[in-house]
Amino acid sequence: MKIPRLTTLASVVVLVVLALFPLIGAPLSWLNYLFSFFIYLALATMWNLLAGYTGLICLCPHAFVGLAAYTMAIGTWVGMPFQVGLIAGAAVAAIFALVISFPVFRMKGIYFAIGTLVLPEVLKQWFNYWRPPFGTEYQGGGAGYSVIGLAGFSLGNKYWLALAIAAASIFVVHIILRARLGLGLTAIRDNENTAASSGVNIFRLKLSSFLIAAFIMGIAGAAYFIHNPKIQPSGGFSISWLLLPLMATVIGGEGREEGPIIGAAIVTFLRFLLADYGAWSLFIQGIILIVVVVAMPQGIAGLLRQVGAYRFPQRLFQAAEGKIRRT
Amino acid sequence: MPETAVLSVDRVTKNFGGIHAIQNITFEVQAGEVLGLMGPNGAGKTTLLNIIAGTYSPSSGRVNFCGRDITGLPAHKLCHLGIARTYQIPQPFTSLSARQNILVAAKYGGKKTAGMEHDKIFDLVNLSEQKDMLTRDLATVSLKRLELARALASNPTLILLDEIAAGSSDRELPRILGIIEEIRKMGKTVVLVEHVMKVMVEAVDRIIVIDKGEKIAEGTPGEVMKDEKVLAAYFG
Repeated sequence: MKIPRLTTLASVVVLVVLALFPLIGAPLSWLNYLFSFFIYLALATMWNLLAGYTGLICLCPHAFVGLAAYTMAIGTWVGMPFQVGLIAGAAVAAIFALVISFPVFRMKGIYFAIGTLVLPEVLKQWFNYWRPPFGTEYQGGGAGYSVIGLAGFSLGNKYWLALAIAAASIFVVHIILRARLGLGLTAIRDNENTAASSGVNIFRLKLSSFLIAAFIMGIAGAAYFIHNPKIQPSGGFSISWLLLPLMATVIGGEGREEGPIIGAAIVTFLRFLLADYGAWSLFIQGIILIVVVVAMPQGIAGLLRQVGAYRFPQRLFQAAEGKIRRT
Repeated sequence: MPETAVLSVDRVTKNFGGIHAIQNITFEVQAGEVLGLMGPNGAGKTTLLNIIAGTYSPSSGRVNFCGRDITGLPAHKLCHLGIARTYQIPQPFTSLSARQNILVAAKYGGKKTAGMEHDKIFDLVNLSEQKDMLTRDLATVSLKRLELARALASNPTLILLDEIAAGSSDRELPRILGIIEEIRKMGKTVVLVEHVMKVMVEAVDRIIVIDKGEKIAEGTPGEVMKDEKVLAAYFG
């Protein structure tokens, strides 16, 4: 499917409008919702890069999020500006990904999934028992920390930060898919044996994808803790950091670029809608997930494609482009 | 002048647990030669191809390619060195078009020198009309040809063809023989595993017969077909 050039323009317009929200006095609650949406979107986009395009069912995003957030928080206590901490955190997440890649990449499919699932649990336990330096200042159960040095960083700034991270994550995947790496990843996903005998270095490509995802998931997770600047092992390594992107990707449409966008919007909406119902919210989300998986295994994006929902806007855009060219 | 063999397999053995799939097999393939591997079902032909292509590493023995020891190297590295293969049961990248399938091998094949133009490859294997179709929509016959096209796209020195003619119709067969002839004319070396006798007799310079993992005969098609051991292996 050829994408009309106006689609790019439309995405830029959406981006600009979203960026203007804090300036035009959008309600704070909107900014809050959208902030969460952007974070979930970045996580889901990266999860989709792994599950949808690399064939890695990675069940350890919470390890990347927790490590990045802790690195940032502790960084701010040793005099690092939190912006530097954010990057440092993402780097630590990527280094962690590099270290675990050697054992976990030896496992395939479901074994890879289980292999990755245990890692965040281990980290959570470790951080639970860890008593870091700065003993007087830490708070909460286990190694609880607050991120300091955030004075003057307004909600608007946090909002822009999250928007930039989400936009960057989508852009990165967009570029990857159209580059040599994307072709190789699709080949691996479709058939590892043939990919290898066609000269694709499977380990290296999977690793590239894994490191990119770990870095961006780390940065997105750490950014969340700039807005909610208290981190504990149970929060940093919470399984929600896995379930949110997983649900968003599966509901939205795995292996589709627009899937995580649709999915993250739904997941964010549900999260705030169901916030008052406690355990029931998980129950309802679970049911929605099951219905989606059974009724539309390609996710909502797949269903939209199937019924040809993109045809009308595509034709509209193409017609408009034609008109612009003629004048 | 003694030529270095393109491929030399030296006392290769492969065990899967207690099963000896391949036992002590030795042979050489010279540049430009088309070598046939023959044998009853389960004789170990595909296992041998898998060892040469790097899918398995042998339990013992060495494999040399163009004078270089390649024993145990991973499949992608062997592809970079110049070994391409087809699969007995077509293994395409199903979510990609035929053209993109070729592109993977061309972009990752790792050759500095450009190989054949992709359109020429498609012409050769007679897939030109289907090159923009998704491979999941292609018929098995077309997928078999796509296997060939993909193998050619990485511009290999040595091509391993695993039952490329199996299941093809009488009308299809001359075309496959033609393709093998074209590949030979390009100066490439071919090792092919085949059950279709017509291919063995018409396209192959030399045949190696394997039975129960052991080499039982070697020679021109004419010689091999008269060999007593071969007749015994096939007809009991």
